[in-house]
Amino acid sequence: MSQASPRARVAIVEDDAILREDLARIVTQAEELEVAGMAESLAAGRDLLAANPDVLLIDLALPDGNGVELIGEARAQHSGIKIIVVSIFGDAHSVVRAIEAGADGYLLKGADPVEAASAIRVVLQGGAPISPAVASHILMRMRNRRGAAREEPSTPLTEKEIAVLTDLAKGFRYKEVARLHAISPHTVADHVKSIYRKLAVNSRSEAVFEAVQAGLIRFKE
Amino acid sequence: MAGPADYQRKMTPSKPSPARWPAAVAILMLLVACCGGLLFVNTLAENVSGRRVTDVLAADLPGDAFVPRTLPHWHCCATTPMRFRTTLDAQTANARDPAVLIVSAHDNARLFVDGALVAGEGPSTGDPTNWSRRPRLLHIPTPLARAGALIEIEVQRGVGFGHLRPIYFGEYDRLYPSYVALHFLRADLQVANGIIGAFVAAFCFAAASLLGVRGLMYSLGGLAASWSLQVLGLAPSEPPWSGVVANGIYFAGYLGTNVFLIWFFVEWTSVFADKPSQRPGRFDLLLAPWPRQLRRRLAMGSVAVLALGVAAIAFNLQRDAAIGSQDVDRVLGWLGLVSISFCLVRVVAYYRRSGFRDLFEASAFLFVLIAAIADIVMVRFFFIYGVSLGAAVMFFPLALLLSLAARARGVFEAATATADKLNLLVAAREREIVDAMEELRRNERAAMLLEERARIMRDMHDGIGGQLLGLLLQARSQKLSETALVNGLEQSLDDLRMVVDSLEQGEGSLTGALGAFRSRIEPRCEAAGVELAWQIEDVGDTPNIGPDKTLQIYRVLLEACTNALQHGAPRRIGVSLQRDAAGGGVEIALTDDGAGFDPNASLSGRGLANMRTRANRIGAVLHLTSDANGTRVALSLGA
Repeated sequence: MSQASPRARVAIVEDDAILREDLARIVTQAEELEVAGMAESLAAGRDLLAANPDVLLIDLALPDGNGVELIGEARAQHSGIKIIVVSIFGDAHSVVRAIEAGADGYLLKGADPVEAASAIRVVLQGGAPISPAVASHILMRMRNRRGAAREEPSTPLTEKEIAVLTDLAKGFRYKEVARLHAISPHTVADHVKSIYRKLAVNSRSEAVFEAVQAGLIRFKE
Repeated sequence: MAGPADYQRKMTPSKPSPARWPAAVAILMLLVACCGGLLFVNTLAENVSGRRVTDVLAADLPGDAFVPRTLPHWHCCATTPMRFRTTLDAQTANARDPAVLIVSAHDNARLFVDGALVAGEGPSTGDPTNWSRRPRLLHIPTPLARAGALIEIEVQRGVGFGHLRPIYFGEYDRLYPSYVALHFLRADLQVANGIIGAFVAAFCFAAASLLGVRGLMYSLGGLAASWSLQVLGLAPSEPPWSGVVANGIYFAGYLGTNVFLIWFFVEWTSVFADKPSQRPGRFDLLLAPWPRQLRRRLAMGSVAVLALGVAAIAFNLQRDAAIGSQDVDRVLGWLGLVSISFCLVRVVAYYRRSGFRDLFEASAFLFVLIAAIADIVMVRFFFIYGVSLGAAVMFFPLALLLSLAARARGVFEAATATADKLNLLVAAREREIVDAMEELRRNERAAMLLEERARIMRDMHDGIGGQLLGLLLQARSQKLSETALVNGLEQSLDDLRMVVDSLEQGEGSLTGALGAFRSRIEPRCEAAGVELAWQIEDVGDTPNIGPDKTLQIYRVLLEACTNALQHGAPRRIGVSLQRDAAGGGVEIALTDDGAGFDPNASLSGRGLANMRTRANRIGAVLHLTSDANGTRVALSLGA
């Protein structure tokens, strides 16, 4: 099996040498993965993209800028690339920002090698990992947006997606959510992927909206 | 009481209209045109193309002997007819259509030629039906017109002056223009003025409250109404009421004109004055603006005087119409002179004080006053008809209303300016308030950040700081196995993540916060082979549970979980979150099916005291139940 399909090439952008090595080790140890290149800065990461990797593991806090920038560029250049954010805390705020920029999932730094490899694999196979914190964060933002009576996003979440997200926020796993809704775990994953896509789309239109608003405010002054 | 006074002061236009000079020229042209027209008409009336007859024989009828008289004849004060006799001259007798023009007949006029009644109307005895001084132009029948024919004119005498002017003989067509001119001056013009007066009165009464100068508008309305009343008393030749009543109406109007004239001029020269005088001086009642209170008294006084005057007129006329009329007329004549003099002095004082700011107003006043004086002089001392007042009366209300309109415009402009100023002020205040709020919020935020920092410091002390320090000390003394080090570090990182989770989730909903917490305890349960039953309900927003409370809840749950795993050996651990029955709070519970313990006996040993302290710190109630079937630790707190 593993011989038949070529190994997925993983690019790693992480400024901390130890963590970078740890990530490299995880990738190397996994059978179907190989390291396409490593970088410790945004600039170097940009060069890595030229090699057209299959997966991008990226830290957000880089010495020369925020990884979100590179996520956006990578998504724009390679629509097929899988982007995974590596984060110490997996804190919802930065993860959601990365998702909005086009990331497909996140990985906790210092995670068990087996766990980490499986997380990468899940993303490669089209899965979409989501933590309760991230789900909760997305829901909260949605609620706040409604409360503030702002413009509805151009692609609002469906009722089913919201229900799934709500259960994920409660801490239920994909399997449990699937059982609760009488659907397959794959469908749950599909919902989550859809949610991610919508977040990315909405964030782009929202950015325009916000820019216009900011422009107006400046204009008034 | 400062309000209305202020308002009235604001009635004075703030700046003169740029159109005032063209307007002044237009007014002047109008005046000149009016006067010119009236003078032309007067010329027609005075220059009669006919033979003027002034020396006649006159007899009081009935039965009195004829005696020579010269016209105008001032003898009056009787209602009996009087007959004038003269002879027809040859020139008139030979005219194609001979006629006689009686310039002024107080009342009925009848023409006799050689003793036969040939023209005229009216009874020869009884009360006169008409007091107007209208001219008559009567045909002398051609068959009877011969040189030396005896012409007798019988009039019923009335009161007043000049009830019979010179008589003119001549060609009917040539006398006619003068007749029309005389009729226009004494009847038509009066009717026109009466109609204008009625219109002005109606306007003033209707608009009195609109312009905010009620006294002024009422007095002007009264003035116009009494003017119309005078005309009404004089105008009809056959009134539906008796001549005495007509006379009474005329006198009431005359009296009203005088009374309202004073009131109106006092109002006008006071309302728009810049500074109402504070201490009344010697001549202040005559010269200075009257304060509000005094003007109100004047208004009431005017009405009282009018009522008393009307009663007196009625009494006099009822007693003896002719004699009473004469008396009343004399008194009113003098009253008119006094009131006009008073007004003249006030107006001069007014303009000396405040200058000619309003051309409309000034022109109206001066013109009316000068016209009135000119007319009185003409009538009283030159025995010819005054025409100026006729023009002035037509012009006066027009000019005054224009003036009021200009003032009203000033008021509206002032109001608009005030509104604009207020808007600016409000906007400025609003900005200030917003800035102040911003400042307040910044301060609050700063205080909150400070508090939050202090709390995080405390948490670090409590949790990760102590753990790391413990690990460090153990490692230094080389009492630490590699596994223990990894476990300890993992625990520290876990604690740090818990702090991060509490910070992230604490502002939203406890549901999400507990969701995030699952990753903290699930690995431990899995490691111990214990099933984790996750029973979290969506409790919605929990605004009262912030990061601090969330972290304490995490710690209590973690402690409870650790206890269960270490001491109870359970197969299953359940974590639940639900709203309490009342809905105002939430209950978070951790249950296990392990071996229970006596909560009272082993309170200290199991970190239960610690849990209670944490619960107390966040205002939660810790319920602990334990028996052989398991243990339940529940936290209840307001959400």
